[in-house]
Amino acid sequence: MSANLSTGTFRPYTGEKARIARAYDYLVLVLALFLFIGSFHLHFALTVGDWDFWVDWKDRQWWPLVTPLIGITFPAAVQAVLWTNFRLPLGATLCVACLSIGTWIARIFAYHYWNFFPINMVMPSTLLPSALFLDAVLMISNSLTITAIFGGSAFALLFYPSNWPIFGMFHLPVEAGNSQLTVADMFGFQYIRTGMPEYLRIIERGTLRTYGQIATPLSAFCSALLCTLMYTLWWHIGKWFATTRYLNRI
Amino acid sequence: MATIIEQVKSLNDQVKFPPWYLKDLYRYLSAFGILTAIYMGFRIYQGAYGVSTGLDSTEPAFEIYWMRLFNFNVTFVTLFAGISWGYLWFTRDKNLENLKPKEEIRRYLTLTMWISVYTFAVYWAGSYFAEQDNSWHQVAIRDTPFTANHIIEFYFNFPMYVILGGCAWLYARTRLPLYAKGISLPLTLAVVGPFMILVSVGFNEWGHTFWFREEFFAAPIHYGFVIGVWFAHGVGGILLQGVTRLIELLDGLEEAA
Repeated sequence: MSANLSTGTFRPYTGEKARIARAYDYLVLVLALFLFIGSFHLHFALTVGDWDFWVDWKDRQWWPLVTPLIGITFPAAVQAVLWTNFRLPLGATLCVACLSIGTWIARIFAYHYWNFFPINMVMPSTLLPSALFLDAVLMISNSLTITAIFGGSAFALLFYPSNWPIFGMFHLPVEAGNSQLTVADMFGFQYIRTGMPEYLRIIERGTLRTYGQIATPLSAFCSALLCTLMYTLWWHIGKWFATTRYLNRI
Repeated sequence: MATIIEQVKSLNDQVKFPPWYLKDLYRYLSAFGILTAIYMGFRIYQGAYGVSTGLDSTEPAFEIYWMRLFNFNVTFVTLFAGISWGYLWFTRDKNLENLKPKEEIRRYLTLTMWISVYTFAVYWAGSYFAEQDNSWHQVAIRDTPFTANHIIEFYFNFPMYVILGGCAWLYARTRLPLYAKGISLPLTLAVVGPFMILVSVGFNEWGHTFWFREEFFAAPIHYGFVIGVWFAHGVGGILLQGVTRLIELLDGLEEAA
């Protein structure tokens, strides 16, 4: 059950002991499922939030930067516990799968069915390909440094291409009010939100957009650099929280 | 003859469901059922009365449909906290030194169930109703801190997971020897950190007094919630503490079929 056990003395449990261990595993699985849907989703919604909620916020400048940068945090922390102690190469995929479950339920029942936003307007992005790659790099390399550099970079670089088949169609140009817009922009203007118009001014702010089609790769590589650092930071945060200390007083 | 009787007894024990180590399984499943019914009931109520009575806090209907719900929520969570924490404290095990290994194993599994129910409440508070807050406040002007979603999210969901987290902490402290001898740092972090999310409601509402529009969700006034939820990673430490002790206990058990 633990990588810290001496492999020389380790014998798999059989009979009732195995059944107890398996029952404990299932209880932990249920616990982990709801823990990471609840906690990772809250962390994600309040930091990436708007870029993931709305199709018109999925721009070339901030969305490919912010989403992987925040999205790699919990995966790194959970990998630090599950890989180091249990040799389970699924920390990132677990977190991201939980996040996907949480966001999809909320988008359908909270946005679409309660407040009638079209589901195409509020579809969540996916980090699953990035997470699978991150887990694979850790499993193959068994190295924090290699995973941070190559896995962390790939986590960010894979984000935009893996979401392009989902959201590319919303970037088609349309003409409305003598202006050229994207379909995504049209969604934003047609479905009035209480935060407007200030709410929309945050999208693609700054001069990076003058780089035209190069803006997206620039954002992705900037995110890749930051993800290598963020991964390492959150690996250690995960290790710190997974302390086994007992205190005499608090 | 005696051997045959023992074998039959052992077989009967194996067939019995739930087995001794999952004695609280039905209570655990009932907790999930009750919580699911409550949270889905809230969502159905919001769907039925949110738009018709929840958009303007100065309307008399708002007082009837939403402020009454607020008063009910606050009363309910206060009573529930007192009853559940009181029950766990007053029924505590005062003879932990003589706890049998099998009973200790069972209690570790029950503690995991408590934490699991706690995380289920964290799911509804941190995932579903939290994102729904953004959805609601992008269609309804915020003219009161007690909006149709806040009344449920901040004054039922948040206190509810705090209470259940407190239950898990108290269960461990009063029924498991290692947790009684010392205060588990990861369990305390995993309970106290998310509790601070409830406290952050004050910071959040103070921030919103500056503007009534909603909702740049990734705004700094929400970061108190974010930092609070990081402490959920303490569950990793609880897992390591539990696994280490369970291995010791299982290794000490005699091999059964």
